[in-house]
Amino acid sequence: MKVTLNWIGEFLGAERLEPENIASVLTMSGTEVKKVEYISDKYKNIIIGRLVDFSPHPDSDKLSLCEVDIGSSKLNIVCGAKNFKKEDRVAVALPGAKVKDITIRKNKIRGQISEGMMCSEMELGLSSESEGIMILSSNCEIGDSFSKSVGLDDVVLELEITPNRPDCLSVMGIAREISALIGADFVVPEYDLQKRLNIDSKFKIEIEDYDLCPRYSAKLFRNIPNIKSPQWLKNRLILCDVRPINLIVDLTNYVMLETGQPLHAFDKDMLYSNKIIVRRAGKGENIITIDDSIRILDDDALVIADEDKAVAIAGIMGGKDTEISENTKNVLLESANFYGPSIMRTSKKIGLRSEASNRFEKKIDPMLTVFAIRRFEDLLGKVANFKTEECIYDNFKKVERERKINLRVGKVGQVLGKDIDAGLISDILTNLKISNRIKDNIIEATVPSFRYEDLQREIDLIEEVARIYGYDRLDSIPIPASDRRGKYSLYQKTIKDIRQALCDMGLVEVINYSFISAESLKKFKINLEDRYKNNVKILNPINEDFKLLRPTLLPALMKNIKDNINHNIKDIGIFEISKVFKKNSSGKLPFEINTLGMMLTGKAVQKGWNEKERSFDFYDLKGILDFICKRYYPSGSLKIKEKQYRFFHPRVSGTVNIEDLEVGIIGKIHPVIIEETEIVQDAYYMELDMDKFINNIKETKKYKFIPAFPSIDIDLAIVVDNKIKSEDIVNEIKESGTELLKKIRLFDIYRGEQIEKDKKSMAYSLNFRDDTRTLKDTEIEIIVNRILENLGKKFNARIRE
Amino acid sequence: MQRSEIEKQEASILFRDKPYKIMSKKEKNISGLEKKIKIELDNFTRELETVKNLIELDNLRTKYIGKKSFLIKTLKNIGNLPDDIKPIAGKKSNTVRKKIESDILIKEKIFKNIEYENKLRKEIIDMSLPGRSTAAGRKNIISQVVEEIEEIFIGMGFEIAEGPEVETDYYNFEALNTPSGHPARSLHDTFFISENILLRTHTSPVQIRYMESHKPPLLIIVPGKVYRRDYDVSHTPMFTQIEGLVVDKCINFSNLKWTLETFVHEIFGKDRKVRFRPHYFPFTEPSAEVDVSCNICGGKGCRVCSGSGWLEILGAGMVDPNLYSFVGYNPEEVSGFAFGMGIERICMLKYGINDLRLFFENDLRFISQF
Repeated sequence: MKVTLNWIGEFLGAERLEPENIASVLTMSGTEVKKVEYISDKYKNIIIGRLVDFSPHPDSDKLSLCEVDIGSSKLNIVCGAKNFKKEDRVAVALPGAKVKDITIRKNKIRGQISEGMMCSEMELGLSSESEGIMILSSNCEIGDSFSKSVGLDDVVLELEITPNRPDCLSVMGIAREISALIGADFVVPEYDLQKRLNIDSKFKIEIEDYDLCPRYSAKLFRNIPNIKSPQWLKNRLILCDVRPINLIVDLTNYVMLETGQPLHAFDKDMLYSNKIIVRRAGKGENIITIDDSIRILDDDALVIADEDKAVAIAGIMGGKDTEISENTKNVLLESANFYGPSIMRTSKKIGLRSEASNRFEKKIDPMLTVFAIRRFEDLLGKVANFKTEECIYDNFKKVERERKINLRVGKVGQVLGKDIDAGLISDILTNLKISNRIKDNIIEATVPSFRYEDLQREIDLIEEVARIYGYDRLDSIPIPASDRRGKYSLYQKTIKDIRQALCDMGLVEVINYSFISAESLKKFKINLEDRYKNNVKILNPINEDFKLLRPTLLPALMKNIKDNINHNIKDIGIFEISKVFKKNSSGKLPFEINTLGMMLTGKAVQKGWNEKERSFDFYDLKGILDFICKRYYPSGSLKIKEKQYRFFHPRVSGTVNIEDLEVGIIGKIHPVIIEETEIVQDAYYMELDMDKFINNIKETKKYKFIPAFPSIDIDLAIVVDNKIKSEDIVNEIKESGTELLKKIRLFDIYRGEQIEKDKKSMAYSLNFRDDTRTLKDTEIEIIVNRILENLGKKFNARIRE
Repeated sequence: MQRSEIEKQEASILFRDKPYKIMSKKEKNISGLEKKIKIELDNFTRELETVKNLIELDNLRTKYIGKKSFLIKTLKNIGNLPDDIKPIAGKKSNTVRKKIESDILIKEKIFKNIEYENKLRKEIIDMSLPGRSTAAGRKNIISQVVEEIEEIFIGMGFEIAEGPEVETDYYNFEALNTPSGHPARSLHDTFFISENILLRTHTSPVQIRYMESHKPPLLIIVPGKVYRRDYDVSHTPMFTQIEGLVVDKCINFSNLKWTLETFVHEIFGKDRKVRFRPHYFPFTEPSAEVDVSCNICGGKGCRVCSGSGWLEILGAGMVDPNLYSFVGYNPEEVSGFAFGMGIERICMLKYGINDLRLFFENDLRFISQF
């Protein structure tokens, strides 16, 4: 919200407001000043001139040569406009002035010297369009600065008003706040708010639901003179980012900015009768609003209606039919109070927010309605010399707007950590217009109507004391020692360690949005897998890309490698640890599964002066898997079970299992998907359910004696059919190897000339040991022979000669 | 006998002036033998000086303590000597033999070292060549900063709590003093899953969940992803927050100030100033926004801090007593404070990153910088 310092000054009994100081005290009391804008800076070197004489330009039909008196001297100015006459007061931009970001210089226009520029309203930023130059009032002093002469010698503060302070959504509210902060008087016009209230019944106001409309005040203005808004009024609106329109509308806006009470003016002659009804809209009832849009309402919305139809959406925007026009003679001025949450709901539903709705949403003070009408009358009187003594209609439900709160002085110290003197607390509250008295270390406070919504409890008053006293004056004290145990849980520590381990192995951690498009799931055929069905849908996505919560990290990692390949980074190992989502039964929160996704593509080893180039393959990915499994499941068996997923290569696709618990999937991305994604290099993907993986870790580490007796290593090379799996051979060797066999390690696979086609040679190193004695070669020989015999039987394996 | 005394005795035997005759015709007495052994030793010592390499040294070894050398032969024949001089002769020869052996060993070590040195000097490698490559992994900048913050708070005795990213309206708004129709709701543009289920717009719901299941004292921080329906240059629909909550018997605003000042000094440096400004949040009272002095301009005001000299980094406040009624605490018995911050913003300020979108584009050229 923007306010101007001069405007604020009208309500303060202070002589001079130092802009930087005001900005600082406001910011440090909770009303953040985002920007301080010195308007006169914008009009530097623009002064008032008097048009002495003018004649046509010798070489142009459109231009005139003007002689302008600026007090100290007379200037020759070439001008393109025609709307002036001798003795007119004009705004002259001298060389060095900036007009619409262009610096004015002395130059020649078609051979004639021009020593400045006479400005139009548009060029001065005072309207969006203008015909000819701006002609100023003859009261303007020649040679004076333009900004001073037209009331633009002002400073605009851009404020952030927190939602709890609807009373600050106005110039008066800010002035009241400043008065408490700097100790100046708050000066308001004193109107007798009971005078002329409901003195006749020529006009009727009917409120159907006082909960939605606690108060509706209105007044008729007959035969309003058709004049333009004075410049000072327009200027203030412009400085506060409100576009001037016509006198009536400008005044409603002015009073709203000043008092915080939104006003709406209807063209009385366009109303059906002398009655206003505040009611809920009928289902599907529609209205054309002043922005020329058709608004379709439902029965949640509140409307202002005459006896024929809705003429405004309450608190949000008026209707086109009753809009004030150039021909308006009679006006019905509405000054009402509507229930905030209802306005908020409707404004959200129809997607329309206005200055008025923004104020109503925050629950403004219903005591303001009549005051605002009186202020409007007052200003109309000043501007248009229009006097009125007619009735103010006021319909309301009586509500309690005064609240008594007891504030314990000791509690203030307890909450803030510093004892504050009762007298000082009392003064702070008094400055905030909260009347109070001290009684036995308790301050009995009475909250005024304009703070009724915000200040409800003792703690609310403590906040008031704290913010006015100043947070910077409070101490900084360590948290008292208590039962503290700062540490990561086992789960958190494991995640952190795995993340670190993966980075140490050369992987880069990515973080992607949790959203995914249905299109993307389809593209990777994820939607066809039972595993990933039951997706969680967003009701109000930003766009199609953000429609679902992702059930897998795969598409995101694919996108990451594609994006990076496009940047010519082609050798990539990435991982992400994030939640994936799955629908739960209705009404329940979805399942959230913390998931590790990992993808490898490109080269594992770059060609180097001492290294051979090598691409990532399945076993790189499985190696990483082995590593993290061994770390947390030192004795657990890791198994890849073949299972086909449509996004994986049909032969390189499986589930990851630890001790018969399925914890994830692993495989090579299907070449067709690779092709469709236009990646042109193989990619390998693995996904682990971190919740399952970590929650099943058993902390069973126990010291085992370091073997005291030597072990025997035997190398065994067998020839088997190509189809035989290493895992099966290993299992058979384990079974036949007795408990003396401690380790098996595959160290070579050979296919080639030395053995038959379709066969392979598998070479294993077996390690035998007994913890109680030294083994004899002969007994190992017997075991190895038995192993060979069994391998022969089972796999038709024979020893490689 | 002490070793030094033995040595003394040996020396006296070797250099006894009066000859003691036995053994052969020529050298029948012990003094002759002594003389001969002394000559052997003298010869050896002289020749050892002239030895130039390991081969010559080996020859010397054969000559003086080889099988056919005088000394070894003497030792072999010692049994034939008369009993009275046998021990003296034996001792003497052995002492000299040992002395020769050790001299040779010392010399041998010297030669071997020289030989090694000469050999190794020829083994030239170019140490300027690149090392064998290990892939350069990298933790995401967000994880790095989250972990850094976690460690700071763990050091102060905090634990780490977590909560669901998809929340109920109750935990995300209602129990946080933001009932339906509350004006603060319009500040949070929310993604909905159903009427009452939504993507959490902040990590604050975990405050309620944690208090429901724990009794004070509690000190937690809550890192996590949060979601708002905003997508433009300065907003991403998902971002990261860290929430903090401390509840105990006598926690006050001054404790909040200390905690956050300590935190800011840890993460941004001790030279940075911290400012607490009144603000409004529905679930804290009194509330504050916390600014850190701008490091670009040193507080004078610049473009980064919009001329104010301060950078906003945290929201905080005393837990609104209403929240305690939602979780069954007695607001007259306990008090506490809460705070929250956006991690991406902290990252941007810490590392001078100027584009929020970089965080989720996962450009490896970006991630690898940190």
